[in-house]
Amino acid sequence: MALPALLRTARAVLSLGPAEQLRPEKAFARGGLAVSAWDLSKNFGKLKAVDGIELQIREGEFFGLLGPNGSGKTTTIHMLTTLARPTHGGATVAGCDVRAQPVSVRRQIGLVFQESALDRNLTVEENLRFAGALYKMPAGLARARIDELLQLFNLDAKRRTPAGELSGGMRRAVDVARGVLHRPRVLFLDEPTLGLDPVNRRALWQFIARLRREERVTVLVTTHYLEEAAACDQVAFLNAGRIIGRGAPEHLIKQFGAYVLEVESPDPDGITAHFSARLGVGLKTDASVSFRIAEEHFSIAGLEAELDSRVRAMHLRRPDLNDVYLWLIHGGFGGRER
Amino acid sequence: MWRPLWAIIERELKWTVRQRSRLVSAMVRPLLWLLTVGVGFEAMLRETGAANYRAFLVPGLLAMVLLFGAMLASLSMVYDRESGVLRMLIMAPFAHSWIVVARWISATLVGLVQAAMLVVLLGVMGYLNGGISAPLLAVGLLATSMTCASVGILIAVSTRALDNFAVVMNFVIFPVFFLSGALYPVRHLPPWLRLVASVNPFSYGVDLLKHATIRGPAPFFGADFGIGADLLGLAAFTAVAVLVAAIRFSQDSVLEPLARWLSNGRGN
Ligand SMILES: Nc1ncnc2c1ncn2[C@@H]1O[C@H](COP(=O)(O)OP(=O)(O)OP(=O)(O)O)[C@@H](O)[C@H]1O
Ligand SMILES: [Mg+2]
Repeated sequence: MALPALLRTARAVLSLGPAEQLRPEKAFARGGLAVSAWDLSKNFGKLKAVDGIELQIREGEFFGLLGPNGSGKTTTIHMLTTLARPTHGGATVAGCDVRAQPVSVRRQIGLVFQESALDRNLTVEENLRFAGALYKMPAGLARARIDELLQLFNLDAKRRTPAGELSGGMRRAVDVARGVLHRPRVLFLDEPTLGLDPVNRRALWQFIARLRREERVTVLVTTHYLEEAAACDQVAFLNAGRIIGRGAPEHLIKQFGAYVLEVESPDPDGITAHFSARLGVGLKTDASVSFRIAEEHFSIAGLEAELDSRVRAMHLRRPDLNDVYLWLIHGGFGGRER
Repeated sequence: MWRPLWAIIERELKWTVRQRSRLVSAMVRPLLWLLTVGVGFEAMLRETGAANYRAFLVPGLLAMVLLFGAMLASLSMVYDRESGVLRMLIMAPFAHSWIVVARWISATLVGLVQAAMLVVLLGVMGYLNGGISAPLLAVGLLATSMTCASVGILIAVSTRALDNFAVVMNFVIFPVFFLSGALYPVRHLPPWLRLVASVNPFSYGVDLLKHATIRGPAPFFGADFGIGADLLGLAAFTAVAVLVAAIRFSQDSVLEPLARWLSNGRGN
């Protein structure tokens, strides 16, 4: 009586049971969604690290999950990659349920951590071969795939270099190659460019763009560098565990307004009081206030007449994703309308 | 499953063989015991008429190599902070418990490699002359190594308080070693210590190795339990330990903090 129960538990724990054989690809093809999350939530004690988010990421899409430190990006990625269990709600990734079919999910995704997932003592090639074995790739297939990826990432010359001797940028590239070795349908990148210099950052995005072009892999990325997120098809802004804005970057920027007017002044409060009747509530920092300008034909010529000693400088520029982000986080856009 | 399993084990063994200094110190430790404690006690005991303490010490020292080799190898698993490989492993497409099983198997093999080296050394030094049973020795080393590895794996997934070598030495290795019959026969101990020794799985490993190396009737220094009892004790403990470790490692309370740690790297 006790022994069969024990064996059953062992089988369940080692996933030798029939659950392993489920073939979920059909569901994936039907929905066309690479990632779908509903009411996805994670609590740590009282803290709602992720608080009921909905996500739909279409197959092949380049999706950016953006937000300040501690907003829940990593926690979200962990739930989608089966490394953390949702407190409530759920998600499917590549057609598989993250709770019920974690192994099938992991088979079809790649995750690149901030920190390297390579063995420093093994060479680049040995590392990739080891990764291939973990995915049960036949040796011949793995070899061909490794060649292909080393070419794609310009790493051919580093094939026999121990991973510990690579520069930060190259190691990250090898990490990405490792993440897509098994041709995952969805690639998760958690702040892939953190700690890289601008040159390596650009190179890494080029690799990812090339991967997306050649393999049509769906990519979900988190980053703090919003210029980088401008290349995404869709972005979602996360704050305190909730999605506070989402859409295509161009669309969000257009929705935001035609211009941003920045007024530099030692007295931001006075400036706000002065302009808010005409320009709406501004976004204050230590020494400046910025205003959203909706009209395409806005001119600062009229305002210049009112320049007095309180204003040091004034400039008008086109908004970018950073503005969208800042306005969303601080008081939200649309704060004026309310 | 065997392909990823083999890849993990192969990597581990390659690493063990490359680490010369660790191998050397694994050999020096028991030999030092043999030549200090062994010689000292033998001199003292000879006065009382008991013979050949060093021969008695041999199985205990073989077991000691396994305790250090296999147990530390599996203990280093979960919190193997320097290597990024654990990141690869937790994302790999198999149940997380396999990580535990793979580490258990490779730690067992690491222990066996070291024990085999010591057997050769002891043989050369003439300590294994007196009719040893080779098959029983092999079985004993294997079973003991599996048990030591399973202790390590169980500790590794159960607590982070023991992730430091000195703490493990004080609170695990020394008590387990001293209360096992490795240094003195269990049957002459006071009853409460005898009780402790008989619930210490390591005692059965030491005992099995005594069966293999100390032959013939040896009223004072012989084995304390039967071979069957030894095997049963080792097997039962190992099975339970590995199962519990595997179950525990796949639980959220262990996995989630680990994943978080692996994500954020050093710090927080
Ligand atoms: N295991 C845990 N226990 C307690 N709190 C946690 C745990 N994991 C995460 N948190 C908290 O949940 C919140 C979200 O963390 P998360 O790492 O997801 O944020 P993030 O958006 O990835 O931040 P960053 O940009 O700094 O990487 C934080 O307040 C964090 O402290
Ligand atoms: Mg994070």
